Formats: sequence, structure tokens, C-alpha cells
Amino acid sequence: MSALVFEGLGKSYGETTVVREVSLTIGEGEFVSLLGPSGCGKTTILRMVAGLVEPTRGRILLGRDDITRLPPNRRGLGLVFQSYALFPHLTVYENVAFGLRRRKVGGAELDRRVSEALAMVRLSGFGDRHPRQLSGGQQQRVAIARAIAPRPRVLLFDEPLSNLDAQLRDEMQIELKRLQRELGITTLFVTHDQGEALSMSDRVGVMARGVMQQFATPEEIYHRPATAFVASFIGKPNRLAGRVAFRAGAGGRVAVGSIELAAARIDEASGAAIEIVIRQEAIGLRPGGGAEDAVGGTIVLRSFSGARVQYVVRLADGIELVAETPSHGALAALEPGAGVALDIAPEAVLVMPVEGAAA
Amino acid sequence: MIRRRHGLLLVAPLGLVLAGFFIAPVLMLVPTSFGEYVPGAGIAKGVWTLENYARIITDDYYREVIWRTLGLGLAVTAACLVLGYPLAYLIARGPERWRVPLILLVIFPMMLNLVVRSFGWIALLANRGLVNNLLMQLGVIATPLKLMFNMTGLMIGLTHIYLPFMVLMLVAAIRNVPRDVEAAAATLGSTRIHVFASVTLPLSAPGILAGSILVFVLTVSALVTPRMLGGPTYKVMATLIYDEYMQLLDWPSGSALSFALTAITLAIIWLSGRVARRWAGQP
Repeated sequence: MSALVFEGLGKSYGETTVVREVSLTIGEGEFVSLLGPSGCGKTTILRMVAGLVEPTRGRILLGRDDITRLPPNRRGLGLVFQSYALFPHLTVYENVAFGLRRRKVGGAELDRRVSEALAMVRLSGFGDRHPRQLSGGQQQRVAIARAIAPRPRVLLFDEPLSNLDAQLRDEMQIELKRLQRELGITTLFVTHDQGEALSMSDRVGVMARGVMQQFATPEEIYHRPATAFVASFIGKPNRLAGRVAFRAGAGGRVAVGSIELAAARIDEASGAAIEIVIRQEAIGLRPGGGAEDAVGGTIVLRSFSGARVQYVVRLADGIELVAETPSHGALAALEPGAGVALDIAPEAVLVMPVEGAAA
Repeated sequence: MIRRRHGLLLVAPLGLVLAGFFIAPVLMLVPTSFGEYVPGAGIAKGVWTLENYARIITDDYYREVIWRTLGLGLAVTAACLVLGYPLAYLIARGPERWRVPLILLVIFPMMLNLVVRSFGWIALLANRGLVNNLLMQLGVIATPLKLMFNMTGLMIGLTHIYLPFMVLMLVAAIRNVPRDVEAAAATLGSTRIHVFASVTLPLSAPGILAGSILVFVLTVSALVTPRMLGGPTYKVMATLIYDEYMQLLDWPSGSALSFALTAITLAIIWLSGRVARRWAGQP
């Protein structure tokens, strides 16, 4: 059954359209992320669901109920803010109890449910503290406990981890996902961090300029991006301008300058100008020259970043690609000036219509 | 962070001015307040007495003036708060383009001289003033309402004069209340009224406290407006002290009254600070 449905949802401020018609259906218990750069409209969508921003067009359905015009206090949703937005004048206990009290939960039941929520975020025993006595990570966990305590029908997260440092963020990602699985609450998660979106979600909606570019599983988003924007936003892409050399079946060959590459899937006509996206991590390197058909180049720059090593490889015609390999083994020790052959699987060559020509 | 030595250096100029021209003269009044006033002769030499302070507590007239002053202070503060909060809320949360015009409107009266503003109120509130004339011509009342030389007149005049201070303090405080925290309360099931009562109001408590203390202190120490709207007989502590010094030349009594007023004011500020902090849930 669908838990949350958007029907042609849109928002404009005067002439400026922030969200174009967005329609999607989120299933019961599903974890859905909205991913995109800042200003793409993802937070506006979240705020429309929460009732904090009034939609200009379209409808929002919660289960079977139309909640489009309902005030936020009557929607029964849980919202976790980027700024945590805890009540600074109330204790942790009272923060978590706030929503329960509004639902007329009292006495022993209130006590039990507050303790339960605090235990879920591993903050038992912190009830008497005030928010300012807690670290950022603890404050965020209080905010999560406060949102889940009243057992909302849908949980909404607005970039909840972006104020935390990297290590804590990784921990919280795993904790959040585990919590969501345990509770089985339908979740809408807004983020600009693709790692977060891909690792946590059942499905990801990638947005750009107010338009939903693709709504699919993380695997599909990564391996079969629907638009040039998605292809270049996800992963670490090399973007090259080229054209279709010829087509054979579903695929064919594409040309970038004098270099030809096999591509597994081409939707464009032969000779059409295209954008080619190849992920850094999809390019294999072989030291020395290579077989006749392989693309050859010279390493111009090596950059070590812990687990991975990036090489800038110059090909014929001055075309440069970035290739990434694990930081151990012989391949990690190539010096600038070394000749290499590139292995690029046809599936890794993503052929996209030129931006702007499509859509 | 500023180091302590540098901090002391920064406050030194003001500190010296205050020490020389404010604290020293005030301290010089301490012995005076324990002196004895002999009519026609001035302060008696070598006589020390608690009589001046005792009289403040025992004398019915002094007690009445003290209660009147405190009552006036509380009433004006409450009136400024009740009238000022909605306006401050509108300025802080209303449309951006209204903000500057509204703030200018609020501080505009402060550009006029205090005496002129008080005269303005006399013209309005006098027995044959604008308000009474209008009401009588409309047939609402038969005889003039007594709007001056009493509490009503002082309340109206002082509330008008000190409202801008309250509003400016409140605007700053309300703008400091995070919108997300209010939105959080709304998503957790709070109606607009409950959001206001449980979040906005307690989180703007520091501004309410600061504005209230400011208005209270200004009101109980106001001299010009109470003198003009209260006349020579309806006195508050400030006018009483002025008269003790300047009319009766009874410096010892005037000094004792001054210190009593200061002590009462400090006690009320301290008490209200404690109450407000407890209310706002801060230790």
C-alpha cells in the first residue's frame, strides 16, 4: 500500500518556480531519499509534506487522506531538522514528551514511551539534561527521539547529518537505517550527499532545478542514470563531449576526438552530438602499452587519498581522464610519465543527450 | 577571546568617568542621608541619625508615594508589554518591507523633546482638553473626566513615552527565536496558540525581562512627565526627592529617599530576573 503520494506537486514564488510538477508514490515502510544540489527544491518538497510551505499546485496524499491543506499540527508527521531545532528551554525528557503530551499521552504511559524513544537512540539517562549540555550528535539523536516518540505515520528528515563531522555522520547513517528498519516507519530523507542517499535508501529521487530527474533504486541510479544530470551528479564522473560513431544493436561505438570507445547502450542517432560520462572508478589501468584496440595514454598526475589513488591520464588529442584505483598493489605506484592502457567496459560508457537539447 | 588585562583597558575610560562623576558623588550622599536637617539652618554638624530612613517606613505620606511609584512602575511596564508585544511580533515576523518603516514609526516620538511630548498630553488630557471636549460634545459624558493629576494621566503619558524602549527590546528578542523550533512544535501537534505559548513566549523571555527592567527603571525614576502630568500635589518618588532637595532643602531626607528608591529597584530587578529565568527553564 502507498504511504505517501505526490500528485503533480509544485511550488512557485511569483515568477520563480522552485518545484515543477513532481509526482511519485512512496510505499509503506519505504526509505526514500531526495537527492540534489542546494536549491534544487528538495527541501521545499519536504516542507510541503510537513505543512510548513503551502503548495502552489498538486496534492499530497497520506495513505488515503488528502493532507494538502491541513495545518502541520494535524498531519501527524515526524520532522527532524538540520539545525536539530530542540526546545532549548526544556529538558531532554520534556523535548521527547512534547509530541506525546500534545496527543494527550500522560502518566506512566508517557514515562514509558519517552524512555523507550530515548533508549532507541541510546540516550537513556540523559532525560534531565538540557540540550545545550549535549554534543551535536547527541542533540541530533534527541531530535530523532522526539520525532519518533509519537509514532508518526511518516518520518521526514531535512539534511539531518550535514552538521555532524564525517566519522559521526557515518555512524549515524548506520544507526538511522537500523532504527528505520526496526520501526518500519515510512521515511522521506532529504540530502545533498549522494553517499548518504545511496547507502540508506530503498529508492532515491534525484532532483535538479525543481525537476525530478530520476526516481529509482540506488543501483539503477548509479548504473543506469536516466539523464545527463544524474550521470554527472552521481559518482565521480569524467564528462566528455563526443558523437555517436555508429550503432550496432542496442549499443555501438562513440567517438571523442580520434578516440573510439564501445558503449553498451546508445539511444541517440548515428552522428548525433552526445555527452559521454565515464566514472573514475570504472576505468581500469594496465601499465605499459597495451593491445591494439585498447586506449593508451600517459599519466600526468598522481593523487593519493588514503584508500584510493587518482591518476590524471592524458590521451591522444590532449583529452584528459581521471582514473581511480585502490591504493595498494603495483597499480597504485605508477609515476607521472608512465604509459598506460585504459580498460573501459562498454557498460561503463554512459551515453547521454547533450544537456539542454533534451528535457 | 579578549584577555582580562585588555578587557580592563577597554572599560577603563568609562569606568573612570563613572567613578569620578557618578559613584563618588553618590557615595558622598551616604553620610548626608544619616544627617539631621534643621529647618532654616541646614544640616546639623556631628549628628548621626537613622531618623530619615525610619520616617520613610513609618510616615504614611512617604509610604503612599512609594507604593504609588512602584504601582505606577509595574502598571506602565505591564501596559508597555501588552501593547508592545503584538507590535514587536509584527515587526519581527511581518513582511520584510514593513520592518524599517514600522521601526521608524516606533522611534519617531523619541525625536521630540520630552517636555513637548508631555505638553502634548496636557493639551489632550486637561479638563478642557481635546479628549474631554470631544466626549462632552458627543454627549458621552456630562462633566469632564479626570485624566490628569492622577494615576490615569501618569500611566497614559509614561506608557507612551517608554513604549519604544520596550518594542525595540522585544523585536530583537523575537527575531532571535529560531523559526525551526517553532516549526518543530507545530509538526509535533501544537496549534498556533500553543506554539506561541510554549515556544515563542518563553524563548523571548530574555527580551521581555530586559525590556521590562528598562521601562520599570525609567518609569520609577522619571521626573519631567510626572511633574507635568501629576502637577505639584500628585507626587511620585522622583518628584518627591526633587522637592525635598530643591524646595525644602532637606538634603538628608532627599538622600535617604534616593537610596531607598535605588534599593527597592535593585531588589525588584533581582527578583524578576530569578522569576523569569525559572519560567524560561534556565538554571
